[in-house]
Parts: sequence; structure tokens; C-alpha cells
Amino acid sequence: MGAFAAYTIIGLGLGGIFSLAALGIVLIYRTTGVLNFAHGAMGMFSTFVAWQVFYGWSHPFWPTWLATLLAVLAGLIFAAVMGLFLEFAVFRWVRTREPVVKAVITIGVLLALQSAASLIWKNNQYHLPIYLAPQQATFQLAGVPIGANYIVIVIMALGLAFGLGAFLRYTSFGRSMRAVSDSPTSASLWGVPVNKVSAVSWMLGSLVAALAGILITPFINFDTTSLTLLIIDALAAALIGGLVSLPLTVLGGFLLGLLETYPTIWIQSLGFPRLVALLVIIAVLIMRNPRGFAVASK
Amino acid sequence: MTSRLMFRVLAALVAFTVLARIPVGFDVGFKFDSALAVIWAFGLLSLVLLTGYVGQISLCQATFAGVGAYATGLMVAGFHTDYLVAVGVGVAAAFTLGVIVGIPALRLRGITLAIVTLGIALVFDRYVFQDHAFEWFTGGTAGWRVDRATMFGLQMDSSKHLMSAYIVLLALFCVVALLMVNLHDSGAGRRLRAIRDSELSAATMGVNLTRYKLLAFGMSAAIAGLGGSFYPLVAGSVSPQPFWLFTSLQFAAIAVLMGVRYVPAAALGGVFMAVVPDVLTRFGHGTFMGHAYEISYDWFQIAVGVLLIVQLIALPDGVWGDLRARVRHARSAAGAIGGRKVKVA
Amino acid sequence: MTMLRVRDMTVRFGGIVALDGVSLDLNRGEILGMIGPNGAGKTTLFNCISGVIRPDHGSVLFETNDLTYAPPHRRAQLGIARTFQNLQLWGSMTVQENLMVPMDALGRRNTFSDALYLPFSAYAERASSERARAILHVLDLGRYARTLAGDLPAGIQRRVEIARALAMRPKLLLLDEPAAGLDAQETAHLAELLHAVRERFHVSMLLVDHDMSLVMRVCDFVYVLDFGKLLARGRPAAIRNDPKVVAAYLGEESKKLTGDVMTVAAARKEEPPLLEVDRLAAGYGGLEVIRDVTLSVRPGEVVACIGANGAGKTTTLRAISGMIHPRAGHVVFAGRDVTGSPAERITKLGLVHIPEGRGLFPTISVEDTLRLVSNSAGHEVDIAPAFQLFPRLRERRRQLVGTLSGGEQQMVALARAILSEPRLVMIDEMSQGLAPTVVRQLFEIVRVFREQGIAVLLVEQFVESALDVADRAYVFEHGTIALSGPAVELRSDRTLVTGSYLGTAADASAIAAANGNGHHIDPALMEVMSVRVPAKVKRALEQRAENEGRPAGAVVVELLGKVDDQ
Repeated sequence: MGAFAAYTIIGLGLGGIFSLAALGIVLIYRTTGVLNFAHGAMGMFSTFVAWQVFYGWSHPFWPTWLATLLAVLAGLIFAAVMGLFLEFAVFRWVRTREPVVKAVITIGVLLALQSAASLIWKNNQYHLPIYLAPQQATFQLAGVPIGANYIVIVIMALGLAFGLGAFLRYTSFGRSMRAVSDSPTSASLWGVPVNKVSAVSWMLGSLVAALAGILITPFINFDTTSLTLLIIDALAAALIGGLVSLPLTVLGGFLLGLLETYPTIWIQSLGFPRLVALLVIIAVLIMRNPRGFAVASK
Repeated sequence: MTSRLMFRVLAALVAFTVLARIPVGFDVGFKFDSALAVIWAFGLLSLVLLTGYVGQISLCQATFAGVGAYATGLMVAGFHTDYLVAVGVGVAAAFTLGVIVGIPALRLRGITLAIVTLGIALVFDRYVFQDHAFEWFTGGTAGWRVDRATMFGLQMDSSKHLMSAYIVLLALFCVVALLMVNLHDSGAGRRLRAIRDSELSAATMGVNLTRYKLLAFGMSAAIAGLGGSFYPLVAGSVSPQPFWLFTSLQFAAIAVLMGVRYVPAAALGGVFMAVVPDVLTRFGHGTFMGHAYEISYDWFQIAVGVLLIVQLIALPDGVWGDLRARVRHARSAAGAIGGRKVKVA
Repeated sequence: MTMLRVRDMTVRFGGIVALDGVSLDLNRGEILGMIGPNGAGKTTLFNCISGVIRPDHGSVLFETNDLTYAPPHRRAQLGIARTFQNLQLWGSMTVQENLMVPMDALGRRNTFSDALYLPFSAYAERASSERARAILHVLDLGRYARTLAGDLPAGIQRRVEIARALAMRPKLLLLDEPAAGLDAQETAHLAELLHAVRERFHVSMLLVDHDMSLVMRVCDFVYVLDFGKLLARGRPAAIRNDPKVVAAYLGEESKKLTGDVMTVAAARKEEPPLLEVDRLAAGYGGLEVIRDVTLSVRPGEVVACIGANGAGKTTTLRAISGMIHPRAGHVVFAGRDVTGSPAERITKLGLVHIPEGRGLFPTISVEDTLRLVSNSAGHEVDIAPAFQLFPRLRERRRQLVGTLSGGEQQMVALARAILSEPRLVMIDEMSQGLAPTVVRQLFEIVRVFREQGIAVLLVEQFVESALDVADRAYVFEHGTIALSGPAVELRSDRTLVTGSYLGTAADASAIAAANGNGHHIDPALMEVMSVRVPAKVKRALEQRAENEGRPAGAVVVELLGKVDDQ
């Protein structure tokens, strides 16, 4: 029983990361029509920037908390700038194209970012994570020690989901974003500045991806490729939410995290969780596309 | 009709004779890259069929090549069969996987299909090609080592017979390319293209979508697998790295860059993928104004990514496609049709 | 004998019943027409027959085969071909190749032998090419054989679609709005073409279209659908006069508003026009839907745009507000040239467009939707006046707009329009899908606009209501403006307007002329005229026809032409 609870917490922690990443994907997709395959790569790059500040550039006499703070800030600011850059330099010009084309463009972004990261930080495996909570701190839950960082992830994921939800619900700009995501054509008829909304969406999406990347550093082999590859899990979670509903996406993320963690009780395999993600994707897509020829997939 | 066929055969023969001579006189590394270029060109060719002709997007073509490579390796290193037999098995294995991947494709289109193929590429990359549950197929973490192989009864040792491997690959590529170009203009090719242009009216006009889509996926996978099947011979061993997700993504990027509808573009792309990085390593370093610089493979890949973005924004039909379109429109403008000229598709 | 038998077809989309137990019979050699107002279910029924949609209930029997759930290519094999409203040609292939695909698909062709150019394939190719060229020749398309389908003008593409369907050697040809985007002359040609096709190729046809002149000329028998149910069926002439049909299209008398008809607000007549549209042309993808549209709206005026479905009214509004890009012509609003400007900018200038479907956001609450007005206005806008005007909305302020009824949604759209203090409001099909009482209420709001000095450009399928509240009206036909004038005039002479909906007397006279009998007056024509025209005038016409030795129909056409000129 204790093992089960432990695995549940781990699964929830993992799921929190997926939720965060998926939220960013859905946000960007709803408001700009771009399914961002480069989402993981963007998160990876921002995380490396944070890493660089933390391990590479911070002064050895600075207290850890200061270095962490600066690193995270650097990563987030970079993420925001990158998101804005993508909107202005790339996606603004392809707003009217069909979704597949826009998605292939993100593949180009993925390749470019991946190689740039490889160029700067080489192909090493780092295991020098950024801890948001003290490394040794643990909580006891049902007799199982849980690392504080797991708790942080879960709290962050939920908090961000709520925060984003509240922002969309209660603020004036959030209203504009909801309008654009329901119907961009109607929104422009209402005088909503679709360009501005897209820019903010990309910024927010990138920020959320960066946060997910930073949070996961204690738990993975940190290199330039593994974060990029989390895209498939994020996509699976996003698809559970139908690429539409933010709450369902968060739920989907946690669900996927659990689904990927439980089998590791019996199957020790690094790659098996990816299979789970793929099966989930296929299952969801088939369930959503039931009858008739004319039912168009996204 | 037949005159066109003869022209094509002639062109293929000429291309073969010219290209076959190129690596002569260069070192082993260049010969290796030439052979690799053809292997990658097979991958691009498979995309020309699947995406260019039939309009189905796929981000797992390298996976098919990998399956071909591993199956062949298994046959040669595990069962000591003749290399050509092993290639046959490799192609068959790839074909089968292609048909299986095609099944979800029957219901999905565009982005969702891309996601599923991406997932498949990832699963094979991280799980099937690396997990010890599949060791019987992959030969363990070290992969199959193919030091000796027999083809046509002759001994082939990978390092000494690179040139022969290259010739065989090149010949096969020319044949397959020729078949594909013929297919394009044939009745079956028309039906495939109809699926690309308008699936809905293709179905209502009698085209059996299930059959043709599955066939397209299978054939495309087989083509990629054919190239991959020669990898063990050329490289001497099989590992997951050449067939990982990023190779599939590169295939997609370069195919689109060059023009995913055109066979010559595939050939061009293959060269691009294998030779340019080699050139870069040889000549892409030195000093400039007192600073040492090095243009590595990563720069190449960044360039690919950026070029892809730029091209999709500006030139939707790829480099080759754009050239071809300019030529064709220049010709047809001479006999232009009056009235309200409008575009469909 | 009955070739196609459709029984009790029922289709539900979510909560909406698109088709409710519709049955249909088509006999061999017949050309059957299906008509009905927007949303009546025609396209849904059509899609069930051609295999694009699976019905929830009902059956489709073709000769002896049950095709209810058969995939589209199976129907093709049995001899059912179809064309598409939005032209699904294979643009990257030549016209000839387009025709060869269905031929091959139904023959026995082998992929591998094709690739290897085996002798059998080469022979089959030649046979197919020749047959394709023969069909093209019959349809006068021979010179386009080697042209890429994507490079052809829309009218030619239509014919290629039909040629392609004929290449299948079908027994039944399904035509989906074949007249969409065609002007009057092209439509007449199409009618001739369809008759010729029936003669030469011995195909039966099922036709769905809004264009009444085509349907009346071409069809032997007509089915009328409304709200997913069968409304009426019969010969074209009978259908045209069926009061139920007329009501479904034009609106009932009961939709007339109470109170006096308002005359033109004379005070502002001297001001320059607020909106000037000059020779506007626009369309979607390959189709050009409107051409040469010229209209204007003066400050404070209420102007109606009426006309049959597919005539181009909605496209015109979209081209004005920036939803789509005009292909030619100019739009000038409040002195500024806004042709091709983005919608956001045009809205900020004071031109509000309430599109078909209302342009609302399903997941946003009523309150938040109204608050959105502040976003674009740039300052806080008080939403209380909206609730004063529409008390019903106050109760529902927290409800999501997607859950409101149609009428309530329309109220939200109108409320937003008022709150944004525009100079001109364009409303597209305000009454669509709404009950008469609700419609009456909404039309009262138009008066509110007028009181506040806001100009209104109203697109309406229901002529009566529109003409009652408008100062002037434009009648759209075949993508351009056929008629215009003060509402008072148009209201008193119904023939002018009815004709554009249910076929003009000119069509009827074409039928009459085709009947060959010079002095005999077509009963159908007289039927129409007797309802609308005083007996004295009718007799005078007959007399004149006798004197001149011409068919009465021709006399009528001439007279109508004179009215147009005035």
C-alpha cells in the first residue's frame, strides 16, 4: 500500500509537468490555430538558460535561493521574449494557412532550437538540477517519504491552472482571449485585437513550457533531447482535453502521469511510458472520431 | 507515351552512370557518405510517395528505415542468410509496419495524423529500438554487427566493399525512382493523387480509400525500409541513433524544403543530408580574422530549420516545385484562358 | 419505375433534428429537384443519399440495393455519381485526367502493372483517354482537355465536374447546387446542358439548389423541404403557387408588424451617404459569388437587402465588413476607403456587422460578452442600458451564450450593437430560425436603431417583414443587384419580388415558348398573374398578345423589362 501511494505521488508529480506543458499547447492552439510541436524544445531551451545562470554564471558566494531566483527569472524572461519573437517573426505571417502547414513550421522551429541548444551546450548529460524546494526536505505521507519537490510540482501545476483560469475568467484581456479562442472571425468583428491576443498567447505558452522544464530538472537526465521529447506526452494530455478545455487538459495531464507511472511497478523500462502515451493518443482520437465521413478531424 | 518512358529510362541510366563514378578516388569517409546519401534519399523518396503523391503526412519514415535495418541485421547476423534475402525480409517487415501504421490514418487527417506518426516514431525510437524486451529484434544494446555478408555468393566486407554497396544502392534507387515516376502518371497514380487533392470526391467517384491509403503507407514504408536494409552493410552495425525521431523530422523538413511532390527533389535532398555535413566537417573550420571557427553539423540543422520556416512562409511548393511551377506557368501563359481565372486547391 | 427510394430519413446533429422522417421517390429518366429555405435539410438529405453522412434512421434503396450505410465508393460502383457545390475537382491534374480517374476506379486496374507499364495497362490507358475525350467533346470542353483543372474559371469547372461525374457512366447523377456562383446567363446555359445530358447519356438526376429559375426550367418534379420535413411536392408550376411554399420562402402575412409604416426620414436625405459600395466583387476559393454590386446607405436610413438564397446578400455584407477580401470594387464608409481593411479596423470606425449565426462566443457569459464592448471601445462602457432594453437578458446575465435560445442570442447581438454606439449596423438574417412572435419583437428593435439615428442595412429572406421596416430595398439576384427602390413601391408590386424567389415570368414564358404554341397562354403563367394582377390588366395583356401575334409570355417579359429601366 505504501508503495502504491508513493507511485501515486510520483505519477501526480509527473502528471503535473504534463499538465503544465499541455496547458501551454492548448492555449496557443486555441488562440492561434498553431499546434506547437516545438513546445518541448522551447521549454528545454529556456530551462537551459536558467541552468546556465544557475550553474554557469552565478557567483559562488551568492546564497542558493538568490541564484535559484535569478536563474528562474532569467529562464522565464527568455521564454517570454522567445514567445513574442516567434509570434512577430513567424506566425503572424501564416495566420490564414491551414493547421498542418503551421504545424510543419513548428517542426522547423523544433529542429532549429534543438540544434542551437546542442551547439551551445553540447550533447552532454547533465544532472545538475534546479531545486525549487530544499533538496533534502521530505514529507511523510502514509508512511512514505515524499520529496518536497514533488509537492512543489503538483502545487505549481494546480496553482497555474487555477491562475490561468482566473485570468481568463475575470480580467478584461482574458475575455478577449476567450473570444479569440471561441471564434477568431467573430472576435475581429467585435474589434478585439487578434494580433495582440496571439502575441500574449505565445508569451504565456512559452512561459508555461519553461516552468514545466525547470520544475522537472530534479527528476530526469537533463540533456538537450529528453525535454524536447516530452512533447508527445504533452500532446496526449492536450488531446484528452480535446484541445479545447483547459480543466480537462489539466485532468488529462494528471491522468496520463498516473497511467505512465503505475506500470513501472511491474515493468522496468525507460521507454515503456512513451508507449502508454501513444496508446492514449490513439484511443482518444478514435473515440472522438466516431461516425461518418464528413466528421472532420482537427 | 512510350517515348516519354524511353526518355525517363535514358535519364535514369545517364544519372546512374554519372553518379556512380563520383566517389571513385575519394577516401573511405566520402564513400561512406555517398552510400548514406542514397540510403537517406530512399527515405525522402518514401515521403514523396506518401506525402507528395497521396497527401498523407508522416513523421515516422526513419522508423520504417530502422525496422528494415534491424530486420536485415537480424537475418544476417542471427541467421546468416544471404544479404539479398535479408534485404527482402527487411523490406517485407517495413511494408507490414507501414500497413499497420496506415490503419489509424484511414480515420485521421492532417495534424492528428502527424501526432500519431510522431508518437510511433518516438515509441520505436525510445522503446522498441532500445528496450531489452526487443533484444531478439535489435541484437541488444550493441546492435547487430555485420562484418561479413554474402551477396550473390560473394563475400562482402563492409569496409572494403563500400563502393560495391554504393553501386547497388544507386542502381536500386534509380529503378525505384523510375517506377515511382511512372506510377505518378499511371492510372493508379492518378487515383492516389485524387486522394491528395480531394479525398471526398475521390471516394464518391469510386476510389477505394481504404485500399489505396493502406497501399500507399505500405509501399512508402517499403521504400524507406529498402534503403534502411542496406545500412548494416554500409555501416557494419545497426544502432538506434540514425533512425531516431530527429531523422524522421529531418526527412519531413528536407522533403518539404526541396519539394515533397517531386522525385528529383528526393535525390537532391539525400545529397543534401549526407554530403553537406561531411563537407562542413572537412572544410568548415579555420580562422577568420584571427578567431577560430567551426561550422558543425548543428549549424547545418539550424539552417534546415530556419530555411524550412522561411520557405513555408514564402514558397509553399519547395525549391524544386517552385522552379517547376515557374516553368509551367510561363508556358501556359502563352495560351492563357480568358474569363474569370480562379484557382482551386 | 422507381430507381431511388428513400424512406423515413432521419438525421440528428447533437440536439437538432436536421431531417425528420423524409421520404422520396425518383423514377428512371426523371430530373427531380429538391428545394427549401436555408437549413431546411436539403443538403443533409442529399449527403445521406450520396453516402457522406450516415442517417440515424431510415433507408436508401437504389434499384434493388440497400445503400443506407454503404461507403461512397460502393455507391459509385452501383452507378450513383455526384457533383459538389464547392467544386471538388482534382486541381493538380488535367481535365482529361480528372475524367479518367472515375473510369479507371470502376474498371479493373492493377497498381503494379501500371507502374511497370505492362501492355494491358497501356491499352487500358488509351481506351480511357479516348472515352474521356469523347465526353469532353459532347460537353464542349474538348479544348480544355490538357489544362490543369485548377487553372480554369468557375463556370468551366462546373461543367468539368459534370463531365467527370458522367465519366462514371452513372445511372443517377446527384447535383449539389450546380448553379452556385453562376450569373443569370450561365444558369440558363446550365439548364440547357442538363437537358442535353439527360438526352445523350440517359441519366436520371437529383438536383438540389436555391436557384429557382434553374429548378423550374429543368425539373420534372420538385420536393420542398422545410425545418427537416417534407413540406410539399409536385410539378414545378404547382409548387410555385402552393401557398405553403410561398410562405416558407417569403414569410407569412402574419409576420407584418403592427403600427403604421414609417416613411423615409426626410430630414437626413441631403447628407452624403454613410456607406457607399461601388461595383463590389467577391467570392470564396474558386467561386465568385457577387459581382458588380453597387449600393449606398444614408445616415439614419433603414435599407433592406432581399433576394433568394445564394443570391449574394451575405457575401456582400462580409465583403463590406472585412470578413472576406473583395476582389474588385470599393467600399467607402464615413468618407474613408475601407476596401480590404481588416475587420477590427472597420468595426472601430463605427460599422458593426452582426453576421449570419450571430457572431457570438458560445463559452462566454452574457455579461462578459457585453463587457467585451469595452475592450474594443477602449473605455468602460456601461452595460445597464442593454438590460433595460432586453429585460430577458438580465435574468440570464450569467448564462453562457451558447446555452441561450436563438431569440435570446439575437438579443445579445443586438444589445452589443447598441452599446457600441455605431453609425451603421448590418444585420444578416435576423429572423432566421426564430418564431414569429420573437421576430416581431426583434424588428421593433430596428425602430430603436432608427430613433437613435443609427443607420441599418438589413439582409432578410422574409420579404414582408423587411419591406415593412425599411425605407429602401435592394433585390439581389444571381450575385448582383437586379432591382432597387423605395420600399413602398416594392411592397405594392409583388410580382417584382416574387419573381426573383420563385422564378420569373420569363422562365415561365420560356417553358411556354418551348411548348410551341403561340397563342395558347400557359395556364401556369396565368395562374401566377391572376393572383397578383387585376383582371382588367390580364385581359388587356391577352388582347395585346392576340393583336401582335405573340405569346403572352413574351409580352410580359417586355413589360417587365420596361419596369426595370425605370
